[in-house]
Amino acid sequence: MGVTETLEIFPLKILRDLIQINFLRLPTRPGATRPLFDLLERHNVSVKFLLEGCAGDFNRDLIICVTNDCFSRLEPELKEVTTRMQAQAVELRRSVAVVRVLGPHFDIRPGTSGLLFGALEQAGITVFSIATTITSSMCIIPDDQLEAAERVIGRTFDIPKKK
Amino acid sequence: MDRQSKTLEIMRRIGAPKPEKIRITGILQSPELSSLTLLLPGGNSDSSAAVLKLLGTQSINIRFINKYKDSAGNTSLCICIDAEFLDAALNLLDVNEKSLGVRDFMYHPRVKVISIYPHKERPRIAERLLTTLRMNGIYILSVNNASSVISCVLNAEDVENALARLGDAFELP
Repeated sequence: MGVTETLEIFPLKILRDLIQINFLRLPTRPGATRPLFDLLERHNVSVKFLLEGCAGDFNRDLIICVTNDCFSRLEPELKEVTTRMQAQAVELRRSVAVVRVLGPHFDIRPGTSGLLFGALEQAGITVFSIATTITSSMCIIPDDQLEAAERVIGRTFDIPKKK
Repeated sequence: MDRQSKTLEIMRRIGAPKPEKIRITGILQSPELSSLTLLLPGGNSDSSAAVLKLLGTQSINIRFINKYKDSAGNTSLCICIDAEFLDAALNLLDVNEKSLGVRDFMYHPRVKVISIYPHKERPRIAERLLTTLRMNGIYILSVNNASSVISCVLNAEDVENALARLGDAFELP
């Protein structure tokens, strides 16, 4: 394993009480996601988590997380937007949290991601989604597993106490 | 001409008005990487952590991760590693394919991660990034946001063109 010492990270950034919206099997054509992003922009909604992946046959899956409050503003138009995007399915996952781990240099320290997600898995924490780039990793977990996840991450990394 | 090329051609002919540039602070470009996409059995507990740990044991550096559950209930795991470790990673995954339960697997040997910052959770940054690249026929392998950046994985040969096109869409200091 590349990581041996306890790595220091910044205090965790935690966003709870979010809704995960999965738009599944969107066409790859340019502008396919525009109706959604226009809707989010119009309602001044921040995207707390965003991930897009390949769904095969030139389709894409798009996953976003927004706050409950924001979702209530989007909900009346969501069906129409889903139709305009030509998403073949949309799924909602309520009561989720996004945890951001910042600082242990995921990009240059082999083993850091394995250390983090191995520890969460061993503790029985369900990780619905992961987005990692450069020095930051964000994951979506159930709201009710948040405290346990914080304890696990606190044991895995050195987190300075907030002043 | 495939369906996507036809759409692009029509959109070019129509000549959509050029939107105002969005001001950003910068665009980052990773060194050359390789991307691996694995389809793993779904469920609340999957083998993605085992894959990450396994690569860590061989000091294989992971610079990008996207994991989610797809519409069929499989876990899709896309990772980008330093390109020089591609053969080692392929061997490792090959040997452990059965124990990890790998259902499908594909890789791109030469990719780069392009990151735009700050993202600040703004939907229009994401929209402009995706639409600009796709309007110019650039295939996006994967996208995510983490912290203050939004990143996408592109084939390395598309990066020069992508940066030029993004320079038209975003205003850099």
